[in-house]
Amino acid sequence: MFSLFYGLWKYLFSKMELHVLILGIDKAGKTTLLEKMKSVYSNIEGIPHDRIIPTVGLNIGRIEVANSKLVFWDLGGQPGLRSIWEKYYEEAHAVIFVVDAASSLRFEDAKSALEKVLRHEDLQGAPLLILANKQDLPEAVSAEELARYLDLKKLDERVYMFEAVSAYDGMGIRESAEWLVEVMERSKRTEMLRARAGAMGPGP
Amino acid sequence: MGLVFTKLFSSLFGNKEARILVLGLDNAGKTTILYRLQMGEVVSTIPTIGFNVETVQYNNIKFQVWDLGGQTSIRPYWRCYFPNTQAIIYVVDSSDVDRLVIAKEEFHAILEEEELKGAVVLIFANKQDLPGALDDAAVTEALELHKIKNRQWAIFKTSAIKGEGLFEGLDWLSNTLKSGGG
Repeated sequence: MFSLFYGLWKYLFSKMELHVLILGIDKAGKTTLLEKMKSVYSNIEGIPHDRIIPTVGLNIGRIEVANSKLVFWDLGGQPGLRSIWEKYYEEAHAVIFVVDAASSLRFEDAKSALEKVLRHEDLQGAPLLILANKQDLPEAVSAEELARYLDLKKLDERVYMFEAVSAYDGMGIRESAEWLVEVMERSKRTEMLRARAGAMGPGP
Repeated sequence: MGLVFTKLFSSLFGNKEARILVLGLDNAGKTTILYRLQMGEVVSTIPTIGFNVETVQYNNIKFQVWDLGGQTSIRPYWRCYFPNTQAIIYVVDSSDVDRLVIAKEEFHAILEEEELKGAVVLIFANKQDLPGALDDAAVTEALELHKIKNRQWAIFKTSAIKGEGLFEGLDWLSNTLKSGGG
């Protein structure tokens, strides 16, 4: 009996979209990451790197990974635009925080922005993927080094991972997406968001 | 500017007919923007159905402009202009703080339209040359842009009079439409 209900549950919600927020300070490479995700997982060719301009709003990408439908929300990272991030927290299943690992002068800025994100109660229990981006550059630090620099507290109750990637050449991109899908499918937060969506009837 | 525009938008839609709506309250600067882009002659028409639509035909892209707000009786006719719309350019007078609430309401009402669901949204926070004009972050807040979660959007500070910011916005638009939009 249980498996019957479980099967129905899975059937009903298997095609529900999972929302992934892409955050990080300006010039971290968020939109380049989004475009890389799109080109790796769908036939859509991403915007060429040299054509990517600073985001002043919202970019959206939809991909399918291991039977899960992901929707990425890529938000602008300039200081004046960061106030809008929190408006998207409530509906996010997970967060990707992108850091330019080759720009150690800005680690402090990244750290305080990330700490602010983690403190927000609307993001409770959301899995967190921290990307040490721009590994194609020689001065980029490793994921472990970045973790040491950021020295994050209050991570214990949250599923998280540091991953070294290059949104430019594609290093680590598939690993990142697959990890996200795996933890989101198992997370209590996803369960909670699905129950809420179910109670409110079919979404838009 | 005209030449840059040609480069950006030529062959963007192939031979497909495309439509870009330029909307906003009256006096936001919509027509000035079209003139600034120097794409062609702005043809003003007052159709018998009773509202004033300006059209600029640029290759296979039709730019169509009308004022939101006001008379509710003619609104159903707006729908004649919705099919095949790839993008909406929403122009706001950033210095007209008193009417931002109306601008917001009209904006979200138009986004509800079924036939415009697939259109990406470019917002011009216009009249930045005027004293007291709100910046992009403040206009974002006032228009409650965060409520848009199913399509791409971007906001640019512009001064149509000086020709500032328009090109950056259209650059975003052409990039976004090229990469498949929302």
